[in-house]
Amino acid sequence: MRRCAGRAPRGLSSRKKSVTPRTCLIVDDSRIIRKVARRIVEGLKFDVDEAADGSEALAFCAGVMPDVILLDWSMPVMDGLTFLRRLRALPGGDRPKVLFCTIETRAERIAEALSAGADDYVMKPFDGEILSSKFAEVGAV
Amino acid sequence: MSPEDFDRLQSLMATRAGYRLTRDRMKLAEHRLGPVARREGFETVDAMLAALWGKPVAGLGWSIIEALLNPETWFRRDRAAFETFSRELLPALIRARAGQPIRIWSAGCSTGQEVWSIGMAALELGAPVEIVATDLSRRALEKARTGAYTGFEIQRGLKAQTMLRWFDQAEDAWIARAELRALAHFARANLLTAPAADAPRFDVIFCRHVMDDMESAARGQVLDQLERRLVDDGCLFLGAEERIGDDSLAFRPVAGRKGLFVKSPAALKRAA
Repeated sequence: MRRCAGRAPRGLSSRKKSVTPRTCLIVDDSRIIRKVARRIVEGLKFDVDEAADGSEALAFCAGVMPDVILLDWSMPVMDGLTFLRRLRALPGGDRPKVLFCTIETRAERIAEALSAGADDYVMKPFDGEILSSKFAEVGAV
Repeated sequence: MSPEDFDRLQSLMATRAGYRLTRDRMKLAEHRLGPVARREGFETVDAMLAALWGKPVAGLGWSIIEALLNPETWFRRDRAAFETFSRELLPALIRARAGQPIRIWSAGCSTGQEVWSIGMAALELGAPVEIVATDLSRRALEKARTGAYTGFEIQRGLKAQTMLRWFDQAEDAWIARAELRALAHFARANLLTAPAADAPRFDVIFCRHVMDDMESAARGQVLDQLERRLVDDGCLFLGAEERIGDDSLAFRPVAGRKGLFVKSPAALKRAA
């Protein structure tokens, strides 16, 4: 079943499946990356929603804040860093754990993302073990 | 690889490393030995093994043994152990040792992630530590000594903030900072071999996921060596799921702290 991105009610409907599933929003313009990440994050017992850029993600978060956001940097319409700064300015926007997940690996850019309010940073390529250890380090699992 | 070759490999691993090479790992063994054969200039794994059986165990034999060990490790593996170490053990040791260096042994350090995890915890608390890091594998030690990791390795278990704080980026690698590397001394050691009688003792020993694949008798032997190298009020960390069971009477588990062991009353009595 494929879910469309950026619509809050879908996130809500998926919450009914079990008692207290945690939710994760995957924001990436690559459908393949979203698919790979979704499989890993669902394996960590999260309900997953997807957004293809920062603006879709922001619309989603205005409706319902996910517990964790996996965020690409370079995307059309609105990039990850702009999304992150706007998210943190929203009411309740400080709550989600935000993990950047991008091919950008320069130390100064990583530092920039962290100072903009990211909780952690995943450099692509990544695998399930890296992602689950990152989720554990930010206290999401 | 013939079944006879595999039998001989099994016995080589058991006698030299105490390692139980189970039959289901035959394919894996063959896969791991391919690169060794190429490096050592043999056409095939079979040709390399034929040459090995004709000679006493020396460089080639150890290269083969090394390739069959399990090198897997990552930063802050079994996170709870590192929480216990940095929140409880280190603060207590800082008080107890009153400025004297705290001696730590990473026994079976593989490619070094454990060493730097210990070092980062110590530097963050300002604890004066000396870390001795040993492994059977020369190749793993070589990598550990460089303190250099790929993007893939560096982020397994390490938060980005911690990575930026303690590692410098050099092209595609992340390299442990000099202040971190200064804490560690690396050496090759076989845990089955008895150390010199006057070998210095340690306050804390990490020997995690080293004995997972060992024969029971070898585990007992290793645990007895570790007991001799640990101060009487010292602590031993094994992997979170590792049990000592009947292999040795030297240690007892600490309740509520997975993977943490202290000397048993029997071991302390023997020492007294």
